[in-house]
Amino acid sequence: MAEVEETLKRIQNHKGVIGTMVVNAEGIPIRTTLDNSTTVQYAGLLHQLTMKAKSTVRDIDPQNDLTFLRIRSKKHEVMVAPDTLLGLGLDYGWICAGATCPELCSTLNM
Amino acid sequence: MSQSRRMSTTRRVSLSVSKVSITRSKTSLNLSKTLLSRTTSGPTEGKEKMPLHRPKQQIQVFDALGNDVTPRPLFHPDPHFPGSKKPSKLLVSQDVSLGSDFTGSYTMFQNTVNPSFVGQFTRSALGSSTVSKSSASTSESMGEDLEEPSYRRETISSYIDLHLKKEVPKALTKEELDAKVDIYLSETETLWLFNLPTIMHSIESEEAEKVTKRNALYENLCRNRAGNDLYVERVMQTFNGAPKHKEVQCDKILTEEKGIMSTTWALYDSYNALEAATSETKLSTGKTSSIHEGSRKDQGSRYLNTTDRTSETSSTIDVESVILAKIHEEEEDHSELILKSEKFQQDLFFMERVLMENIFQPKLAAYRQLPILEGKEEEEEENYHQVKKVKKQTEDDEDTEATEEESMEASEEPIPPNLERLWSFSCDLTKGHNVSSMAWNKANPDLLAVGYGQFGFREQKRGLACCWSLKNPVWPERVYPSLYGVTSVDFSMASPNLLAVGFYNGTIAIYNVQNNNSVPVLDSSESIHKHIGPVWQIQWVEQDKGAAGEEKREILVTVGADGRISKWIIQKGLICHDLMKLKRTTNEKQKKQNEREKKGEALISRQAPGMCFAFHPRDTNIYLAGTEEGHIHKCSCSYNEQYLDTYKGHKGPVYRIAWNPFCYEAFLSCSADWGVNLWQQDNFKPYLSFYTTTHVIYDIAWSPKSSYIFAAANEHRVEIWDLQCSILDPIIVNVANPGVKFTTVLFAKNTDCILIGDSEGQVIVYELKNMPIYIDSGREDAIDILLGPEAHSVL
Repeated sequence: MAEVEETLKRIQNHKGVIGTMVVNAEGIPIRTTLDNSTTVQYAGLLHQLTMKAKSTVRDIDPQNDLTFLRIRSKKHEVMVAPDTLLGLGLDYGWICAGATCPELCSTLNM
Repeated sequence: MSQSRRMSTTRRVSLSVSKVSITRSKTSLNLSKTLLSRTTSGPTEGKEKMPLHRPKQQIQVFDALGNDVTPRPLFHPDPHFPGSKKPSKLLVSQDVSLGSDFTGSYTMFQNTVNPSFVGQFTRSALGSSTVSKSSASTSESMGEDLEEPSYRRETISSYIDLHLKKEVPKALTKEELDAKVDIYLSETETLWLFNLPTIMHSIESEEAEKVTKRNALYENLCRNRAGNDLYVERVMQTFNGAPKHKEVQCDKILTEEKGIMSTTWALYDSYNALEAATSETKLSTGKTSSIHEGSRKDQGSRYLNTTDRTSETSSTIDVESVILAKIHEEEEDHSELILKSEKFQQDLFFMERVLMENIFQPKLAAYRQLPILEGKEEEEEENYHQVKKVKKQTEDDEDTEATEEESMEASEEPIPPNLERLWSFSCDLTKGHNVSSMAWNKANPDLLAVGYGQFGFREQKRGLACCWSLKNPVWPERVYPSLYGVTSVDFSMASPNLLAVGFYNGTIAIYNVQNNNSVPVLDSSESIHKHIGPVWQIQWVEQDKGAAGEEKREILVTVGADGRISKWIIQKGLICHDLMKLKRTTNEKQKKQNEREKKGEALISRQAPGMCFAFHPRDTNIYLAGTEEGHIHKCSCSYNEQYLDTYKGHKGPVYRIAWNPFCYEAFLSCSADWGVNLWQQDNFKPYLSFYTTTHVIYDIAWSPKSSYIFAAANEHRVEIWDLQCSILDPIIVNVANPGVKFTTVLFAKNTDCILIGDSEGQVIVYELKNMPIYIDSGREDAIDILLGPEAHSVL
């Protein structure tokens, strides 16, 4: 547990990271460093997108699964790590997303 | 004939029956032929008539005395009532059956016989039952209608002709009455009221006797029954209960619409869930609950219910969320669950790595020698476009790229080889610690083990060993803290997950880096043969036992300040054998060793502390050991008492010996006497000495790419030497920040990078830029080229 907290903190404090949040399957944020309205907005939108992406990946091959989703835009990059606790018998999903400002990266390599 | 008929109807009771039946039968027979010129009865035209519309023929019954004992009818159908059609039909059917009753009521003797007559035409109604009294339920209500046998005739005919169309009766002329009428009779469908099939038993069967007995009894009964006082005829009527209406209204049925998009993966999931459920149910039921609990971590028992519920439903997220949204109180627990779970941790791990990748991307790209375009931000877009275009490889871009390269090259030429700082592995944990050793993982070239520990005796404090990954320069993957300073680390070749660590207190420990457990797998603290002084070097060596025919075995070799070089074998713990005891050797000038020893310095110990060793790259039986005295001894594993040779050249402790990776004749040594010496195996004097600084040289390393390039780290700078360029000056000199000492140096294997560890706990990765490129870098005979033909001469 402590390690999780530590890692979360490290990610949050990293240079270039605007914010992070942890969201559960219904789109309700559990942890967030952004303000409420942004959090809710991101949570809702990203949740849908992640589900769609996951559905797409699995439709192509049901044995495959989505591990990571990155959305690069002009201003920011959003990274989403979705997951499900299928092994625990509960069908859960959560998102961990962070947005960084790509200007801090010296070059823009695609 | 008709008269006789009529007359026959008025005969006495006792006889009339048979007659009636006969006449009836006769009439029934004659129906097809003759005209029924009965005046009392309406003419039968072969069509159904309303018996009601015909005047009824009165039957008059006289007894023997001539009294009119005609029974009065009980039922008077209303001729004007239109609805009486139906009851007439009933009557018809009933009368038909009544026929038998009628006959039966008169006489019981003819019971079985009479119906047979009647039954010719009424068989359909009677069926195969001989006794139909019970079936005539409404016979009483009908009463004993005796008035019209002809009526019955008509009824019979009418019944028979039911299937024919009805016609409106009209007045009949005499001619018509006299005319011959053809009446066609046909049999209707048989209505089965009761069917008792015969059961046959074989005579030889067990029940045959019983059956025959019963049959006999029954026959007796039948015989006795007729006329027997014991048997009385009775008719019964069942009462129909009065119907009653009852209204019921049910609660409103709530309907809910649910739509699910059945995707490929949803089907796949549900099948798998079913399989999992069935495989689980195969196990004993008592265990399922424990399995559920065991498969989850840190969960209360109340989750069992949700699991049971959810594991059997098709796994669609909507359903789950619906269920879970209702149970609000569990939400909080689920969030805790999420945060604690391992998968979440893993995801965070990935997230961090991705972030690092983002941030360090250009540096990592440089490390991996991927082309990156440098440019200011204004040019960024241009470059960005150029990068894109490069992929498409259009002609224009080739030109622009070429020009760019040219410009770069043009500007490059005057730039000398230099080190470019890429990044540094450092974090809070390692700040303040001195980097004592570094080692790459043999299997994973991205994994680096770094040992932190102070060199001096006075500065001793807690140390740690860390495993760093290239993918995350900000935080080590593994941290192994220890009480003592770490002096040396090495990864195993045979089992790349084992990391051997040597400590300042002389113990060694072996960690398994696959798990995050900070407890070493093996520890030599309890070993009797552990080193007493700091383990200055630890190395995994593959030794082949060619003679014995065994396969290559990996052993762990350590050299300690107590003057012993030991090999450790992992066999139920660490078993130590001494390879060599490094004895002190006296000065060459002193010839009488024994005498000199007494007169010379009082030796604290007979053994010289060993500082380093290096196994020959080809022949792992031979190794070089450097001592604190400054001597380098060539030893063999086969002899643990004697040295093969000794190389004397240094005046201070030899800190590092390194064989040339390409040329196996040459090796380097560095020592605290400020110098680096290049030796040739057969010569006991160094060929080249590099004394460029006035500081202790802690570490040297050969470049894996060229046999001429090596790096040396002394306190204030790191020097990169290229012997082909110059043997007097290093080609690159990297000066450290004041206050920071460079303590270790390590080349990266596949790239042009060098790692330098310093005393502040930082491991800085530099890229070697603009190194002179030679075609034949990996020459084995480099030493010959360098040193000329005198290389092989023994001095």
